[in-house]
Amino acid sequence: MMKLKAYDIILSPVITEKATLLSEANQVVFNVAKTANKPDIKAAVETLFGVKVKAVNTFVRKGKKKVFRGRTGVLSDTKKAIVTLEDGQSIDVTTGL
Amino acid sequence: MQVTETSSEGLKRELQVVVGVDELNERFSARLSAMKDRVNLKGFRKGKVPVAHLKKVYGKAVMAEVLEEAVKETSVKALKDREERPAFQPAIALTEDQQEIEKIINGEADLAYSMTFEVIPDIQVTDLAKLQLERPVAEVVDADIEDALGQLLERNVAYEEEEGRAASAGDQINIDFVGKIDGEAFEGGSAEGVDLVLGQAQFIPGFEEGLTGAKAGDTPTLNISFPEDYPATHLAGKAAEFEVKVNKVSKPKQPEASDEFAQTLGIEDLAKLKELLRERITSEFGEASRLKLKRKLLDQLEKAHEFELPPSMVDREFDMIWGQLTRNLEQEGKTFEDEGKPEEEVRKEYRAIAERRVRLGLVIGEIGDKNKIDVTSDELRKALMEQARRYPGQEKFVYEYYEKTPGALNELRAPLFEDKVVDYILELAKPTEKVVTKEELLKPDEDEAVQS
Repeated sequence: MMKLKAYDIILSPVITEKATLLSEANQVVFNVAKTANKPDIKAAVETLFGVKVKAVNTFVRKGKKKVFRGRTGVLSDTKKAIVTLEDGQSIDVTTGL
Repeated sequence: MQVTETSSEGLKRELQVVVGVDELNERFSARLSAMKDRVNLKGFRKGKVPVAHLKKVYGKAVMAEVLEEAVKETSVKALKDREERPAFQPAIALTEDQQEIEKIINGEADLAYSMTFEVIPDIQVTDLAKLQLERPVAEVVDADIEDALGQLLERNVAYEEEEGRAASAGDQINIDFVGKIDGEAFEGGSAEGVDLVLGQAQFIPGFEEGLTGAKAGDTPTLNISFPEDYPATHLAGKAAEFEVKVNKVSKPKQPEASDEFAQTLGIEDLAKLKELLRERITSEFGEASRLKLKRKLLDQLEKAHEFELPPSMVDREFDMIWGQLTRNLEQEGKTFEDEGKPEEEVRKEYRAIAERRVRLGLVIGEIGDKNKIDVTSDELRKALMEQARRYPGQEKFVYEYYEKTPGALNELRAPLFEDKVVDYILELAKPTEKVVTKEELLKPDEDEAVQS
């Protein structure tokens, strides 16, 4: 399988109340590709933002059931990664790349 | 905030205003924290958005607002501190340099701008009680009333049919006629049962003359040519034949000045009618006398107040008059040469008028201000109603117009204000009464155009 490119792994930053709270613990949240694993994410973040990563935690948020025009559908699952940075490192996610 | 005067020439002022970074940033953060509880961003509950995040999202927009507000506030304050009144909204010039502006928005540089404006000069109102004014008064004499009555009678001439009367000038005849050109009836050349008063030249020349002497039942045929300058071009200059049938000839009958005549007008009797006429003439005289008095007053006010006028105000007034004048000329299809005056000269004349208007406007405004003369909303409503009454059937449109057009009410207010101030001055100046003849009173002033 072809290796995923860094930009394909990191889809977008998550900017929410919870994510901003985490930033106090030097952690950043990203939406990542379903197929990416923790080493992939670590490498991608390090190349894209030029920072040192301490640890990566991931989880898959299962798609929610939504009713649209009377039909029930399922939103696709999304994978998120909570990246913990080394001390002294920081990413400004709101400004973008 | 620091204000420095960079130039002051005559009435022109130029100020350099600097607002410090700290002051700006203070306003900026105050504004952001005020916003905090109101914004609704995705991913955040209301009021839970961190200020740092807010600043990133809305920072530039908020800063721009802050700057705008700061400019507005400081410019007003600068004027107030200097205790000067600008003739117009000051022109404010920010730096043109993009980088500089970027810096200001990022909160790194002081906000500096220059404002230019013209001040209204201090007006020393002369002692109004010392104005020498004369109120021309004319007495309403019986002859005036008789005149008015005579005119009224003439306007109410009735026509009485008379058998076998030969029509003469002043008579009313009732006719049918068919007009033909080259034996063919032409459009608009025929009518039936038309009432025509002879000798008033309502029809083409020759027509009325041709019917003089006709009696009821006559069927004269008139051969007349249309005049060369007849408005309908396809008829102008053509020879036409009119076959006329005279139905009736009526002689004019002037009503007599009697109680019956008064009653036909819906008035009790002749004495009452005369009374009404006297009232009307008196009020006409009163108006004329006030107009003259006001004009003299304005003349004196103008002379008594010599001060430099803000050029921009004069220019604006002049442009307004000039625009109206040129529009009028255009509509009439004339040029300045037709008026017999070179444009330069006319320009100069109107410039003087504009100056007079501005000067008087300032003086009257000043007097009104100093003496707390104001137009109340009641008076305004009254004027509005009067205005509406002038267009019967369209009152609603008039009201709507005044409601929707912002400047319109001010246009109504201005003359009211002027009148009130004039009243006030007259009270102080105590004009002396001077009896003049009726002709003198009603004679228009020579340079009426200068009237403001």
